[in-house]
Amino acid sequence: MNPNQRVRSPLLQSARARWTVRIIGIAAAVATAFTVWLGLWVTPPDQVQGDLVRLVYIHPGVAWVALYLAFGLAAVASLLYLWPRTRSLFWDRLAAAAVEVGVVFNVCTLISGSIWGKPAWGVWWAWDARLTSTAVLLVLFLGYMALRRVPAEPEVRARRSAFLALFAAVDIPIVHFSVLWWKTLHQGATVLNPDLSPTIHGSMAWTLLLSFVALTLVFVWMLLVRYRIGVLEDWLGTGELDAALRERQAEGAAPDPAGDGSEAPAGAPVPEGVR
Amino acid sequence: MRYVIAGYTIILSLLFLYAVHLVWRRRRLTRAAERLEAAPAPAHSEPVTEGR
Repeated sequence: MNPNQRVRSPLLQSARARWTVRIIGIAAAVATAFTVWLGLWVTPPDQVQGDLVRLVYIHPGVAWVALYLAFGLAAVASLLYLWPRTRSLFWDRLAAAAVEVGVVFNVCTLISGSIWGKPAWGVWWAWDARLTSTAVLLVLFLGYMALRRVPAEPEVRARRSAFLALFAAVDIPIVHFSVLWWKTLHQGATVLNPDLSPTIHGSMAWTLLLSFVALTLVFVWMLLVRYRIGVLEDWLGTGELDAALRERQAEGAAPDPAGDGSEAPAGAPVPEGVR
Repeated sequence: MRYVIAGYTIILSLLFLYAVHLVWRRRRLTRAAERLEAAPAPAHSEPVTEGR
C-alpha cells in the first residue's frame, strides 16, 4: 500500500449503519426471548420424548446458523475473494467474521446435541457420522482461525485463508447428507427432508420456525459487529504503521547528535509499532 | 426437565457471553482508533542532508 494514501477512518460510520445494527440486536434479543418462552412454557411435551423435545427449539437453530449460514457464507466470501474480478479484502474480512461466529455456533450445536443425547441415547457422545463430521468441521474452522493468526501480508493471509475455508467447506454437504448416506443414531431431517414435507406440526412447528428466525437475527447482529471489529483492527494496524513512519521521518529530520553524519548504531531501539 | 434447563442455560449463556465479548472488543478498538486519530501528527520537515 502506498504509505501516503489516506485510509478512510472507520470512525466515520454512518448513523444509519449504527442504528441498523442496534435494531437488529434488539430484534434478535426479543425474538430469542419469545422463542425461549414458547419453547419452555407454551408448547406441549412430545408423546415420545416428553419435555426433552424442548431442546429441539434450540439445537437445529444453532446448527442451521453454524453450518449453512456462517460456514456457507465464509465459503462463498472466500470464493469471491479468490475470483480475480471480485477480489477485495471486504470478502476476506467477511469470511473471517463469519467463521468466528460460526465456530461459536458450532460449539453450541455440539453441546446442545450432547445434552439431548445423554437422556435420549444414554451417552454424551457417539462416533456417529453426523456428530463426527460436525466435530471435524469445528476442528477445520479452528484451524482457519489459527492460520489467520500467522503473521503475513494481508493479501497473503487472505489467499491462504480462502483456500482453507473452501477446503473445510467440503465437509458441509457431508454433515448434511450424513444421515442419508450412513446409518446413524442421529435422526433424519425433520424439516428439510428429501420430500420437503415437514414431519412436525402445530405450535411445535411455529416455535421451531421462530427459533430459526431468532438465531438468524443473532447471527446477523454478531456478524455485523465482528466485521466492524475486523475493519478497526486493519485500520489500527495501518494507523500504527503511519505513526511509526512519521516518527522515523522526524528522526531523520532531527540534527545528528554525533555531528559526523554516521547512522544509528546497530541494535538501536526501533520505534514501537514498526513490524 | 433438568437436561432441558441445563441446555437452555448453557447455550444462551455462551451466546450472551460471546455477544458481550464482541461489544467489549468493538468499544476497545473504537477508543484506540479515536486516540490515534486525535494524536497530533509531528510537523513534516524535509530531512536535512546538506548545508548544515
